[in-house]
Amino acid sequence: MSGFVRGLLQPLVLPAHALALLALGLLISQQHAHLRLLPLAAFVAGLVGGLTAIALAVGQTPAADVLLAASGLAGIVIAIGRPLPTLVCAFLAAFAGAAFALDSPPEAISIAAGTIILIGTGLGASVALALAAAGASYLVDAQERVWARIGVRVLGSWIAASAMLVLALRYARGQLL
Amino acid sequence: MRPRASRLRLLLASFAAMLLGGGPALAHSGSGSGGFVGGFLHPVFGPDHVVAMVAVGLWGAFLGPPAIWLLPIVFPLVMAGGGVMGILGMPLPGVEIGIAVSAIVLGLMVALAARPPLWVAAVLVGAFAIFHGHAHGGELPPGTDAVAFSVGFVVATGLLHLAGIGFGLLARWPAGRVTVRVAGGAIALAGLAFLSSVG
Repeated sequence: MSGFVRGLLQPLVLPAHALALLALGLLISQQHAHLRLLPLAAFVAGLVGGLTAIALAVGQTPAADVLLAASGLAGIVIAIGRPLPTLVCAFLAAFAGAAFALDSPPEAISIAAGTIILIGTGLGASVALALAAAGASYLVDAQERVWARIGVRVLGSWIAASAMLVLALRYARGQLL
Repeated sequence: MRPRASRLRLLLASFAAMLLGGGPALAHSGSGSGGFVGGFLHPVFGPDHVVAMVAVGLWGAFLGPPAIWLLPIVFPLVMAGGGVMGILGMPLPGVEIGIAVSAIVLGLMVALAARPPLWVAAVLVGAFAIFHGHAHGGELPPGTDAVAFSVGFVVATGLLHLAGIGFGLLARWPAGRVTVRVAGGAIALAGLAFLSSVG
């Protein structure tokens, strides 16, 4: 498998990354329809910033824990079922995007190969989030699909519960931050 | 309709008898394996956990909206809080008893067709969720599979609620209403069996 494809698929392979993208996608779908692009763009901006930091050989960061915390926070907001203020949602998305990128250091033996993997990761995460947000928005936008809005909130509670449990486990084992 | 309802009642009575004749309470038997499948199977193989989760869904369906979706949202969130307590080693007395009592109380709520205010139902379900979460919390595996395990665990719990809701929707019809209440009684009896095995 080429480095680009490996990077492209990374968001789907790592459970914590897939969970974060799902949480953000559901969170964005709960925003008002005309305000959904901003958090999506903020995520991509955070992602690019984080990937650039990795390319510049930034050291060890607590990105994995931050990403889990962002997922848990998003899950709680989704379960509550009220749209966040747009700027707060965008800030959370940007923060999660940066954490996502910083938690995706490429395993490559050359700078060129590593850069290709990073580009794949950035593209894969952006497309996956856009698809998750679009799919969830399609479901919740139709007035008659009350069950979809309820289902999204239930999923949010599951995401929050999962993230809380893993963060607590990491804290108990001295792995947090 | 009546013969069919009788058969359903017989089936539920058999189910209750099977649970009553079962082994001790094992809400956290611990599959030992990590990953999504390990987490998913973890609650499914704990009969006291299973009946209590189904009872949450049954009661929610019995109470109707908004309880039908509010209780399954409250439960995993509060359960995670109990799980955090378990993971951090915070003591919680009578965990096994609390789990068994959850089956008894929630089963009785369905059997008696209790309709308390929504906040009372949510607080009751949330209180029991702490015991369930605490019992399971200490068994999350370390390492990279922890996320997949916890997701599997939470999803299985949610699907058990969904199973209860699906069954509880029978309460829309008169015969189904009786069936659901009988199922609640069977769950309460199973909870009694779990409680006696704990004691």
